[in-house]
Amino acid sequence: MKHYSEEDLILHYYGEAERWSTAAGRQRRRHEIEQHVDQCPACGELYRSLAGTLRQLEAPEAPERGDQYGLEVWQRIRARLPEPEAPWWAQWLRWNRLAAAAGVAMLVVAAFVAGRSWSIAENPLPASLSAPATSAQAAAQASDGRQRILLTSVAEHLDRSERILTDIMNTTNGGDISTEQHWAEDLVSASRLYRQEAVDVGEQSVASVLDELERNLLEVVHSPSQITAAQLDDVRRRIDAAALLFKVRVLGDELRQRELAMPSAAPHARAVTSQIS
Amino acid sequence: MEAEISTVLARARQGDSEAFRTLVERHSRSAFRLAYRMTGNEHDAEDVVQDSFLRAYRQLARFESRAHFGTWLHRIVANCSVDLLRSRRSRQDFNRAEDLDAIVEQPSEDEPGPERLARSAEIDRFVGAALAQLSPLERAAFTLRHYEGRSIAEISRTLGLNTSAAKHSVFRAVRKLRTALAPIRGES
Repeated sequence: MKHYSEEDLILHYYGEAERWSTAAGRQRRRHEIEQHVDQCPACGELYRSLAGTLRQLEAPEAPERGDQYGLEVWQRIRARLPEPEAPWWAQWLRWNRLAAAAGVAMLVVAAFVAGRSWSIAENPLPASLSAPATSAQAAAQASDGRQRILLTSVAEHLDRSERILTDIMNTTNGGDISTEQHWAEDLVSASRLYRQEAVDVGEQSVASVLDELERNLLEVVHSPSQITAAQLDDVRRRIDAAALLFKVRVLGDELRQRELAMPSAAPHARAVTSQIS
Repeated sequence: MEAEISTVLARARQGDSEAFRTLVERHSRSAFRLAYRMTGNEHDAEDVVQDSFLRAYRQLARFESRAHFGTWLHRIVANCSVDLLRSRRSRQDFNRAEDLDAIVEQPSEDEPGPERLARSAEIDRFVGAALAQLSPLERAAFTLRHYEGRSIAEISRTLGLNTSAAKHSVFRAVRKLRTALAPIRGES
């Protein structure tokens, strides 16, 4: 006769027979154990002792809590609410801050290289009829490269800004906006660099939208972290009045289209290299 | 109603503390009941409820909106209870062992039988002391299985254990409780 272990009997008491996946299998298993417990004195005694002990263990009666209990808990924890973990897309954005910084750095390097190429093209080549044309072409190509990098970086920057602005516009009540403020603060620094670069390459309309964006992002950064519904309304009204979200979207689209319309970079680079050498 | 809860949850996940307040007000009582069963102590249960909501607020981004908030919160309550019991246990082990011995050795005036004992407050105290002898994990697994009616699979998910570890926590708890309660059941 096969005896059942204490573990088997505990699982049987709780109706757990997970090794038998089908309902029929579980039913058969239950029936086998019940029959065995009835017939086997040792297993029967063990099961009765086990079941008797477990039946004695009634759920402890929790002290009653009134209808206001939830409110009491809230009052106790509200001042201690921690910073929520950022959602995955925000963490992704955080990583992209590094990418934005790298983009700006690349822009500076590209501008430097373009400037160097231009002066090399102007100075060491022997004076000839073709020289002015060659250096002008190199300068134009270097400028194109610089502009292309600017268009790409600013379009991505506008995408990120649009997400924050949309978040702010969609927040219906006041509350904690510290997460949005943190992201806005990072975007303000990047925005300044891009605006300066846009002024340098003569992209006045881009610079103007970036200037407006920067002012509104600063507004978010300097608002109280625990913002009231009225204060949030003020911020939203200003964003609305400037039609900022619309401008950011339109400019982002326009920059991407201009970037696509530009001739590819590789032939430029090759042409500049061959002309310099 | 369902749509309203989804909206509240979505707002809370965006960091709206007022929306989170609605969740706190709605789920505090059930969280307290579970915490009390887990810890067996009113004061500890209060601490667990507060810690659980603070942890839930911090981790809201991880909450999958398809899941039920109450179930997710209960998982946090169970784990906060285990953490609290672990921190209390090192300080109170000695006292708890003494508690159980004291209850067993208490002289009874009229020698009540097991049936009468089972109905008395005395046995509740005895059971409370026996439960306090369990390790935090054993107590959590046993509470979820015995009082909350959760399956072994659910317990393993709640406590982050594999199925075998969850099952053995329940087995060890039952074995210890049987041994501890044997004297009042008239078993050797």
